[in-house]
Amino acid sequence: MKIIVLNCGSSSIKYQLFEMPSQAVLAKGLVDKIGLKGSLIKHQRNDGVEVKLEGEILDHQSGIEYLLGVLVSEKYGSIKNVNEIDAVGHRVVHAGEKFGGSVAITPEVVSALEECIDLAPLHNPPNLEGIYSITRLLPHIPQVGVFDTAYHQTMPDYIYLYGIPYSLYDKYRIRRYGFHGSSHRYVSQRACEMLNVDINTQKIITCHLGNGASIAAIKNGQSIDTSMGMTPLEGLIMGTRCGDLDVGAVLHIANKEDIGLSTVNTLLNKHSGMLGISGISSDMRDIEKAAVEGNQRAKVALQMYRYRVIKYIGAYAAAMNGLDIIIFTGGIGENDYETRSEILDNLSFLGLEYDKDLNHGLRAKEVILSTDKSKVRVMVVPTNEELVIAKDTYDIVINN
Amino acid sequence: MNDRLEDFSLSRTIKPKKTLQKVGIVGCGAMGQEISILISQSGIEVAFIDISQERIDEVFERMNRLLDERINKWGLTNNEKKLILSRIKGSTDYNAISDSDIVLETVNTKKKGTSLELRQQIFRNIEEVVSEETVIASNTATLMISEIASVLKHPERAIGLHFFGSVNRVKIIEMVRSVFTNDKTVELIQKFTMMIGRKLIHVNESSGNVSTRMLVPIINEACEILMEGVATVSDVDEIMKETAGLMKGPFEMADSIGLDKVLKWMENLYAEFGDQKYKPSPIIKRLVRANMMGRRTGEGFYKYTDGKKDVKGGSIHKLGRE
Repeated sequence: MKIIVLNCGSSSIKYQLFEMPSQAVLAKGLVDKIGLKGSLIKHQRNDGVEVKLEGEILDHQSGIEYLLGVLVSEKYGSIKNVNEIDAVGHRVVHAGEKFGGSVAITPEVVSALEECIDLAPLHNPPNLEGIYSITRLLPHIPQVGVFDTAYHQTMPDYIYLYGIPYSLYDKYRIRRYGFHGSSHRYVSQRACEMLNVDINTQKIITCHLGNGASIAAIKNGQSIDTSMGMTPLEGLIMGTRCGDLDVGAVLHIANKEDIGLSTVNTLLNKHSGMLGISGISSDMRDIEKAAVEGNQRAKVALQMYRYRVIKYIGAYAAAMNGLDIIIFTGGIGENDYETRSEILDNLSFLGLEYDKDLNHGLRAKEVILSTDKSKVRVMVVPTNEELVIAKDTYDIVINN
Repeated sequence: MNDRLEDFSLSRTIKPKKTLQKVGIVGCGAMGQEISILISQSGIEVAFIDISQERIDEVFERMNRLLDERINKWGLTNNEKKLILSRIKGSTDYNAISDSDIVLETVNTKKKGTSLELRQQIFRNIEEVVSEETVIASNTATLMISEIASVLKHPERAIGLHFFGSVNRVKIIEMVRSVFTNDKTVELIQKFTMMIGRKLIHVNESSGNVSTRMLVPIINEACEILMEGVATVSDVDEIMKETAGLMKGPFEMADSIGLDKVLKWMENLYAEFGDQKYKPSPIIKRLVRANMMGRRTGEGFYKYTDGKKDVKGGSIHKLGRE
């Protein structure tokens, strides 16, 4: 079965063509700068053939039409005809409280997702554009929606509610939702496969540390808590997002700087985090280099980043009343061994021991870092959100 | 030969539906600069025309400053600033706007009297270089779009599009159809305003539209109150802000708009309607004659030092001087 996975952003579409259930990636690519000057498609076939095509791509639908055209082309294609495509899986950021798992796209599902635009005004509209476009271009092909928020729908109410008037939850569904669901789900399941343990008996903390970052507490195979909230702003310090912050401080800043809500939004989402603290970059590598060269703000930014992760791990270990596995994933989690070791060195109170030599220099590989004596297993598991979408799409289409 | 993207469309017949790729701006004063930034920020290319290379350099300098102010106030990132500026080009040659989908005239003349003839000449110049599809718009507040457009060979493509300062903050635009404007023109403008994230409010053709017609009597009445000695400049502003829910009081508004511009609005509205409520207040005339135009020149109803507003002392007859 051939499945296309689409991840439509505001001006880009990431795509992969999977052969399922073998999980082979036949082709992948990126449609970039949609509706902007210099639009292009970068396409890569699994035999290494690559092409970059530049031209005018005005909207998501023409972007998808072009990527399908490349996929069926004689020169760069992997299939002869679009009829060979059996299903399309879409990444959708926010499903609110509507869906606790991936679902087949129906007109009712589309309406439900349209109702969630309020909750993710930047992300959901382009995700929906992808669904509308496939419906128009390939009307008979089944589509599946895989939601970032769905995995965390198992959180209990006393964890997802905020300490604000309950009427606001009733009226607007103001609550914590969490994100990166596909990633937390994938790495926790993959880790249990690697360890050959039953996920339904494990207490797992997954650390998705990338430019956006979140941690999840997964007990018996279900997410019971995660650091991101109603929006991706809450929780860990990120590349340019502040993470946890006293709302009183925000009010004070808005008053002092005489700025409105939309500017506050830019301040906390784009000027803050590692970039805002260090004043250097949002990229961990640049900050680590500056810290080695003695830059004080870079040093404190790194300390803050790592401390926040440690604090969350401690909190989640307590929340689950124990801990069996810690998993690192995401760009920083998979590659930044110094950050990993700084975090792990602070967790010896859990009876955690890890192989420092194995950790040193380790990048983007599936590895068990903990020693045999360790009471907590520590692992690095590179994430693969596209594969989760392809698998869910396959399962739903087969079962339907 | 290199592969072309068009050859890979699924149907091989993809005809990209006509979209908006480029907007021309003629006359890039304070308003034109803010509008250029707003348009570029939405991913549309901007080409502006101004009178000299020196002036173009000034425009870029000021746009740089405007964007830096927004970065310093947390409203924008450095990368976003670079992207915005990369999409804006300046030229003294009208040919630079020939491939625009819309050309917007935002001329701001400092000369006395009406700018009707100047705007008509600009419309003619624009029509000479652009295609028949291009929409030609004017940002005029008090002149009639039908009268400006009457000089065009294809007046059906002309429309009034009145932006408000500060362009970055105000989310609405007044749209005025002339007697000639066709539906196709309106449709393109609707699409354009949607792309730049603004709401279009359709007003029927009338000098001053709604905004300017309402503002002018408020400012005039504030001047009357001041001249009668009822309250001071800052007290009038404070009372109006608190009681009418305005973001700026009438004098703050006048200083921000520029008193020369306010005076021109008053003259045009008075000429059009002959109603005393639009007759320029003597105090505004005196301030303009003294080159106290408001925020822009550093002095108007208030004094401005490094952008910070101070109350002026002294008597009203001496224009606030001791």
